Amino acid sequence: MTVNGRQLCAAVPGRRSLAEFLREDLGLTGTHLGCEQGVCGACTVLLDGRSVPSCLVLAAQADGCTVSTVEGLADGDKLHPIQAAFWQEHGLQCGFCTPGFLMTVYEFLLSTHGPTEDEVRRALAGNVCRCTGYQNIIKAVMAADLMWER
Amino acid sequence: MGSSMMGARIRRREDPQLLRGEANFVDDLKLPGLLHAAILRSPHGHAAIKAIDLSATRAAPGVVDAFCLADIWPENPPAIPVLVGVESMLQCPQYPLAGQRARYVGEPVAIVVANSRAEAEDALELARVEYTVLPAVVDAQAALHPDAPCLHDSAPGNICARWTQATGDAAGAIAAADIVITERFKMQRYTAVPLETRGILATPDAVSGELTIWVSGQWPHTARGITAAMLGLEERRVRVIQPDVGGGFGVKAEIYPEDVLIPLAATRLGRPVKWIEDRREHLLGIAHSREMTFDMELGLRRDGSILGLRVTIISDHGAYLRTLAMVNPSLAATGLTGPYDIPNYSAEVICALTNKSVCSPYRGAGAPEATFARERLLDVAARQIGMDPAAFRLKNLIPPEAMPYATGLTSVEATVVLDSGNFPAALRQALLLVDYDGFRARQAQARSEGRMPGLGICMYTQLAAVGPHESAEVRVDGQGNVTVVSGAAPGGQGTATSLAQVVADQLDVPMEKVRVSFADTARIPFGTGTYASRNAVMAGSAAMMAAKRVRAKAAQMAAHLFECSPDDIEWQDGDARIVGMPGKSCSLANLAQAARPGGSRPEGMEPGLEIRHYFETHAVPFSYAAHLAEVEVDPATGGVKVNRYIVVNDCGKMINPMLVEGQVVGGIAQGLGGALFEELAYDSDGDLLTTDLFSYRLPGTLDMPNVEISHLISPSDLNPLGVKGVGEGGAIGSHGAIANAVEDAIAHTGARVHQTPLRPSVVWALLNAG
Repeated sequence: MTVNGRQLCAAVPGRRSLAEFLREDLGLTGTHLGCEQGVCGACTVLLDGRSVPSCLVLAAQADGCTVSTVEGLADGDKLHPIQAAFWQEHGLQCGFCTPGFLMTVYEFLLSTHGPTEDEVRRALAGNVCRCTGYQNIIKAVMAADLMWER
Repeated sequence: MGSSMMGARIRRREDPQLLRGEANFVDDLKLPGLLHAAILRSPHGHAAIKAIDLSATRAAPGVVDAFCLADIWPENPPAIPVLVGVESMLQCPQYPLAGQRARYVGEPVAIVVANSRAEAEDALELARVEYTVLPAVVDAQAALHPDAPCLHDSAPGNICARWTQATGDAAGAIAAADIVITERFKMQRYTAVPLETRGILATPDAVSGELTIWVSGQWPHTARGITAAMLGLEERRVRVIQPDVGGGFGVKAEIYPEDVLIPLAATRLGRPVKWIEDRREHLLGIAHSREMTFDMELGLRRDGSILGLRVTIISDHGAYLRTLAMVNPSLAATGLTGPYDIPNYSAEVICALTNKSVCSPYRGAGAPEATFARERLLDVAARQIGMDPAAFRLKNLIPPEAMPYATGLTSVEATVVLDSGNFPAALRQALLLVDYDGFRARQAQARSEGRMPGLGICMYTQLAAVGPHESAEVRVDGQGNVTVVSGAAPGGQGTATSLAQVVADQLDVPMEKVRVSFADTARIPFGTGTYASRNAVMAGSAAMMAAKRVRAKAAQMAAHLFECSPDDIEWQDGDARIVGMPGKSCSLANLAQAARPGGSRPEGMEPGLEIRHYFETHAVPFSYAAHLAEVEVDPATGGVKVNRYIVVNDCGKMINPMLVEGQVVGGIAQGLGGALFEELAYDSDGDLLTTDLFSYRLPGTLDMPNVEISHLISPSDLNPLGVKGVGEGGAIGSHGAIANAVEDAIAHTGARVHQTPLRPSVVWALLNAG
């Protein structure tokens, strides 16, 4: 498996989820577990470039895959433009759902330039935020679209 | 710099760590030798426990401990205390584990500790509990029936408290009224559902003999006191630390059985033990809230003036009374009159026990319930007397010249004196923003096309902070860095940013110099915590006063060094100077160095440029707002779309308007969820039907409109910052605004809204009832 650009090899129990593997075995605790029911989107990571709820993927299923998590977004001290946009627009409060949103937005904006607000809302319909009421998250995505040269 | 930070929209200092995935929530903490706990829970709403056999559980792979109540406390187990009660309240306590009887599905019965979470959960399946199932009662009204099963021998008839809250002569006013409106409204059971569930990590330190507890909570000092008392430990040997918290909204300001069980397990084993609630456990066991029925009689004069209001509130408390059990009904009963001039008022409060999870405050705590019931009632009354609902409200709102307005009511939290504000101005501005007259014309046109738009109005007041105190320590070190330690315990509000703004202003230092920490009982001896919209008011005022006193101390120190009077000291860019002598100055860092113990100081001055301040008060400010929701109902499906939402908000002065608006919009989303779909639904056996986030539906990006907010500012003179709390307001106003908008959309069909949530199936049924 390749995680955030690093190749690694590990043996895991069959029932270990990808989220648990990232959090417990690799110490990548930025991926959060909000429901473990595949609904809230907090645990969203990119598996071979596609967003997935990592609570519903077994670690073993990701064998040979490329996994991207929130820890891989920033370039050293420099926040990724999506992160910078969330900061600028007050797109987070408690921040628990934020890593999942960031990964969903990353996938969305990579393939979509100049989205409408409605398209942004549809793209994020699988992520739950309990603090912000989404308004500033939507604003942040619109801002990130302009800030991110891609 | 002067007052440059107060009122500034400053990006939050909390964010970079959260954005990088480098925050520290409880489940992110790891310790060597860490064990994991899992809880065995009652599968029955009401059952006698005949026997518990944990032998197979204890023998399971990886298991290091398992116990039930009798294993620890063969008799006299410690009860979770009620912190604020009412006189009529009976004792219906919950213990850390169910003993001979389980009274709700999800009630803890035993605990298992193992090397991994998976092994602990596997071992739970091997526990053998012999239950005799008893009849359950899940409806509050049914619980009051003489034949209903009784939950507690101590509370016959399932009434755990009953009292009357009154001012003036409601009965007389209603008897003398031209028109009396009688209605019943019911708000369903729903709750906060923060994205981070609860979690606890406890570890005993063999060297210091101390027990350290990391908990996803809202009130570490209270948690320390209660946990220590229940476990028979010295409070000074228990340290509670709150790491990053993924939302609380009130429900984490509670003492739950696990708050005692996990520290107990860690103490028994001498090893760190962690328990992270899963989402199913969360929905079963978190404090539920909101479930109240209001039977209301409103007496009116023919001209539309309100003469009196008489109400019976039935509050569903679930199976036990825990720490803040009486807060919701008390705040509902004292919040029903809200921003209106209702001189004659009486509410009888009946608190009922049912075989459901235990109830406690959630964002607004009684105010959303009362606001929903009152604002629905006002719409009904306006229609009945043929007045426009906005005009009817404007006629009865308390006028600004009547402020401060003493309602004559006192809740378990505070005396209700509406301190300042202009309620009619807020409503008028909101009506202007929505183009109210234009909307009515558009609505008529849309109806003629078979569409169903509606506009809902909701006014509210909220208890905007509560005492009795909050603490802050401000310390300047020899490098000129400023450290703030606060007794508050935020979970996403941005309080580190707002306190840094306040302190930076007082000390005239750049915000980057100020570091703020919270929620650690070892860092500051007293703290109250984060609930009741209190951070800006209480923690903000404590930080401001501490910084102010540090500044005064620094001036004395400067005067000592310069051999002049403190009155001759002036400040420029954070440095002390003698007035009229621009060449001579001393930085805050140098003053802190000079003030170190062992140095030369003015006579009687304590060493260190540091002050611990307790902001103490029993007087509470009230903030308020006008909410307008514009919705459209789909006649074919009953689906409700909220298209526009306008708020005119007054929370006094604002430290950081960006954070204020974030709180308002976030609160509105929670009230929208309650108005339209969230419900903790039980079947008749007491089984919770909504144990995942599919069946307990939370609002998403497609449900929320963009909220348009404008501000009125009536500074509070009850605190030095002039602020009023705002955290709960959005959730208080939106449930009622949206319910009113839905009825406005469908009223012409004869349909009436008496309860929520207004799911598509419910609205469709209302539309097709005739």
